Amino acid sequence: MTSSFNYSTHLIPPRPITTQSTQRPTSQRPTASHHTTTEPNSSLQQTNKRRCKCYDMYKQVVPFAEAWSWQKSIVEERKLLVDGNEDGLDSLIVVQHQPVYTLGTASSEKNLNFDIKDSPLPLYQTERGGEVTYHGPGQLVLYPILNLRFQKMDLHWYMRALEEVVIRVLFSAFSLKASRVEGLTGVWVGDKKLAAIGIRVSKWLTYHGLALNVSTDLSPFSQIIPCGIKDRGVGSIKDLLRGSNRPSSTSGYHDEDDGKLIDIAHESLLKEFCEVFQLELCHQSISILRSPDR
Amino acid sequence: MALRIWASSTANALRLSTATTPYFSPLSRCFSSVLDGLKYANSHEWVKHEGSVATIGITDHAQDHLGEVVFVDLPDTGGSVTKATGFGAVESVKATSDVNSPISGEIVEVNTKLSETPGLINSSPYEDGWMIKVKPSNPSELESLMGAKEYTKFCEEEDAAH
Repeated sequence: MTSSFNYSTHLIPPRPITTQSTQRPTSQRPTASHHTTTEPNSSLQQTNKRRCKCYDMYKQVVPFAEAWSWQKSIVEERKLLVDGNEDGLDSLIVVQHQPVYTLGTASSEKNLNFDIKDSPLPLYQTERGGEVTYHGPGQLVLYPILNLRFQKMDLHWYMRALEEVVIRVLFSAFSLKASRVEGLTGVWVGDKKLAAIGIRVSKWLTYHGLALNVSTDLSPFSQIIPCGIKDRGVGSIKDLLRGSNRPSSTSGYHDEDDGKLIDIAHESLLKEFCEVFQLELCHQSISILRSPDR
Repeated sequence: MALRIWASSTANALRLSTATTPYFSPLSRCFSSVLDGLKYANSHEWVKHEGSVATIGITDHAQDHLGEVVFVDLPDTGGSVTKATGFGAVESVKATSDVNSPISGEIVEVNTKLSETPGLINSSPYEDGWMIKVKPSNPSELESLMGAKEYTKFCEEEDAAH
């Protein structure tokens, strides 16, 4: 089903960029991993993959504003390095969010079924592309902060690659056959969108990312026209596996089953993310993001 | 000049049919137009310096790689820009990208047509798709930018590496 995905392996970037290890204190100090460095490091020699710092909070429900500010601060630090022809490592933040609506740069108020000043949930106007969407518990959100110079300097490719990650997850972990719809970024099972994507790029550094509905309560989506698409719906892995006819409140479905779905989806997302982007994750303590000297 | 713009529009029209191909389309990369007389930044913005005013936009190469521009975020007149720093953004395919200013200065005019018709950036990146006009605060910054030949070579090298 998923035809071979043409993602680039690590070509030498067009201009020499030296990577440097992070300035932040961390229990594992990632040594700069770059294919032109000659620093000997036995663990790095075992893999060709670039390292990517992973701030994994997949079981935590984090306020949107907090995760947004982490991303912006990581990107700003990295932009300074990039301007000086250096770079740090890629990062990946994984979270669930408290219920929130977010808008992209071009988002239209017409896609809200409520007055923007009177939103039933916290609402954020962000700098990502794409239309309005909902984030909430039961939905896994991935924020990759990648330097596309080390991938492919092509935004279309990057969107397809993010879709690829989710398509592979749905198939390998849940036997769900998902697909792309040309012109409608995101991942679809039938006419239901399971994953939404919206990104921002600055000097080839990406942020924002993707959101996959695992066991999300989908009712907040009825207050918006998700991603501005009127005649298609939103779905979740949980609904598809159980048959979407049965409302979750009457099913006798246990929360722990939701937890298992999230665990399975999370593990598969990290695995497929590493495969598609040819990265090796280095798990970081979340306290780094929350420390006052950021 | 007119011939180049015509060639650019035609090439754009041809390329639109290949823009749906998700992966590699090698031939399209050769046809981006680069105009003489402009200066170029390595983040794919152009500057046209005429007298005391410099006009800034994104290049044909940039708009081609972005695809259809659906939204343009521009600053207000009277603000300032700094070389190599973002002043606005363009959105296409659910991805919004920063646009950086090649020079520093004061913004004296902003292309308000882009809010109604963001596609001007695609159809006319060097003319009707201009983004801001700036009074340069440091005209020597223009000298460190690339000329047409250098920029063409830069694009070829960048595309070849990916």
